Amino acid sequence: MGKKKSVYKTKDNVTGYLLLAPWIFGFLIMWLIPMIISIFYSFTDFNMLNKPSFIGMENYMRIFTKDKSFWQALKVTFTYVLFLVPLRLIFALFVAMLLNKNHKGLGLYRTLYYIPSLIGGSIAVSIVWKQIFGNKGAVMSLLAAFGINQKMSFLGNPKTALGVIILLGIWQFGSSMLIFLSGLKQIPGSLYESAVVDGANSRQTFFKITLPMLTPTIFFNLIQQSINGFRVFTESYVITDGGPLDSTLSYVLYLYRRAFNFFDMGYSCALAWILVIIIAVFTIILFKTQNKWVYYETGGDSK
Amino acid sequence: MKNRMKKLTAMMLAGVMAFSLTACGSGGDESKSNSSAKSATGDKKTIKITWWGGQSRHDYTQKLLDAYTEEHPDIKFEGIPAGWDGYFDKLSTQAASGSMPDIVQMDYLFISTYAKNGAVADLQSYIDDGTIDTSNIDDTILNTGSVDGKMAGMVLTTSSVATGYNPEVFEKAGLEMPDGTWTWSDFIDANKKISEMTGQESVLVSSGATGDVTQLRYWMRQHDEKLFNDKGNGLGYKDDKVVADFFKMWKEMVDNDIYSDPDEEAQIMTKGLESSPVVTGDAGTVFDWNNYSSRVSSVNDKIRITTPPLSDDTKETGLWNKPGMFFSVADSSKVKDECAEFIDWFVNSKEANDIIMAERGTPVSSKVRDEMVESGKLGDQQVEMFEYADKVTELAEDTPKPDPEGIAEVQESLKNIGNSVFYGQSSPDDAAKEFREEATSILERNK
Repeated sequence: MGKKKSVYKTKDNVTGYLLLAPWIFGFLIMWLIPMIISIFYSFTDFNMLNKPSFIGMENYMRIFTKDKSFWQALKVTFTYVLFLVPLRLIFALFVAMLLNKNHKGLGLYRTLYYIPSLIGGSIAVSIVWKQIFGNKGAVMSLLAAFGINQKMSFLGNPKTALGVIILLGIWQFGSSMLIFLSGLKQIPGSLYESAVVDGANSRQTFFKITLPMLTPTIFFNLIQQSINGFRVFTESYVITDGGPLDSTLSYVLYLYRRAFNFFDMGYSCALAWILVIIIAVFTIILFKTQNKWVYYETGGDSK
Repeated sequence: MKNRMKKLTAMMLAGVMAFSLTACGSGGDESKSNSSAKSATGDKKTIKITWWGGQSRHDYTQKLLDAYTEEHPDIKFEGIPAGWDGYFDKLSTQAASGSMPDIVQMDYLFISTYAKNGAVADLQSYIDDGTIDTSNIDDTILNTGSVDGKMAGMVLTTSSVATGYNPEVFEKAGLEMPDGTWTWSDFIDANKKISEMTGQESVLVSSGATGDVTQLRYWMRQHDEKLFNDKGNGLGYKDDKVVADFFKMWKEMVDNDIYSDPDEEAQIMTKGLESSPVVTGDAGTVFDWNNYSSRVSSVNDKIRITTPPLSDDTKETGLWNKPGMFFSVADSSKVKDECAEFIDWFVNSKEANDIIMAERGTPVSSKVRDEMVESGKLGDQQVEMFEYADKVTELAEDTPKPDPEGIAEVQESLKNIGNSVFYGQSSPDDAAKEFREEATSILERNK
């Protein structure tokens, strides 16, 4: 870029910043400042009512050495992410491919499939799921009608409860689906045409053309959904309240309990920062792997 | 020129947007500071008051506040009703941000947490100068609100554990009506018969057998033990066998399908008070508080209460008079005097108690109780509740100290350990040991 433009640039910047001002204001007041304060709290014994006093690394020490629930919450959250993200992406891609054709009323379908993502995280839907999978709920009654009597419901059984929560997560595939759909639309039709001319079947076109061309989209979805997955809260809070036997105690739910039920805000802030670090490390690892499998048509190394 | 105009417009628009956003953001606060500014000038004072409860409590409490405003036109209320779930989550957040409502309905569970951290005001001076008249209130009950020599909350009602039962179910099963002389084994036998008849678990516990410490505490007291020590920094019993026996008894009830396992219980709890199996006639007994029959009377007026089972070994009851709920005043409140006057009216006036009709529990003032009985306005359930309270006063031993800081965590731990027993994943003996370990470390950390 030439130097000539730089004068205009600074002038333009002012407008830009002014337009951004509402966002920057919100970011500072609602995000950055609370985050910085929470670093401070994580080194104190703040219980929401007292004046916090500095206790050094004690919170962090307690988390790693004395807190069984921390490890349980970590295990639950990792299991959740590792199952949820691949399954959700596969399902979203599958639906996106179905919708990437010229049916009648396609817009309607797209909207319909997006609805779960809008309402899936809500309290109302969580309660519905509780009714469906809970004791004497629809699923149990249905199984009983087929002669499969179960003493315990899927939500009451510590082995299956997390599965129900994951299922609810997969069901909210809408936003990944939309991103996949736009990714699919960007793959040039000429590629498919020449493949057909060369006699490739649909399986081959999927694995040799669609999937490689979609890798940037998959990568984006993977990162976004993983980060979202680590933050799961509503489902385990409303449907199971972390139970039975802590089998659905997600990390954020545990953190919430510490802060607001157990008057342990300082500790909770320490937990939050550990989660931030975990997510950061996870994301960095994903980025490191991208050279191996993500294909950018314009040349991914242009940065 | 044109360009500059464009830019100017854009900048102005951005400015407007930023301004309107800040205006939105602080809108809530502005109205708050307005009202407090007004109250400072003295024409009208606003008291913010929050409580937990069900719909009927919300309705009559609002009526109550309106009635007070009519009598005292200079006092306005901002009522903030809530359910029990999440009530204390919200309160702790408000306390942290300095926006705690002026009057807070407080539970015995958390009063020491709030008192020790200085979040609630000391009401002793209002009692001393007679603003809050306590002459008709039993001293032991009054002092349950005192933490570290500070009157952290004015006790409003008393309650005690009670067993609610459905007489029709008992009759159908061919059983005698419980008369308060039953032991745990009588209790279990009776419920076994009912469960066989209905094909459903007959024993319910409103908060779960191990969902909070109530059942365990009752059991400990029957065996002359204390759950927590007096200082509130550790457990109060030496021998884990008492706790193991407690787990064993309830586990047997689960195994014999007399008492629901946690899975079924979760489902029953979502049904709510009005359609609980005891009320609908599908179960026989429920552990709750002595206002149980009066709370469900609008749905089923046949439900009665009696004392919980006596111990098989000691033949003792573990009953105690529990302070039902308190009104605490926020330390940050600017209208403390007005709050105290309102609390006095709430506790002592006939007018207020005619509206409350003992829905919050047995009123602490003996004068109010007498007036209510004499007025003849009470239903059977309320009369029963008052009689029960008198009986407990006869039977009861001292009231346990307020629950220690860290109680919420102890209860969470008890709930998990209890569930692991009921799911058959740990033995009663191991569970008792585990409870000691976890509870001890929680209490030590919070002292």
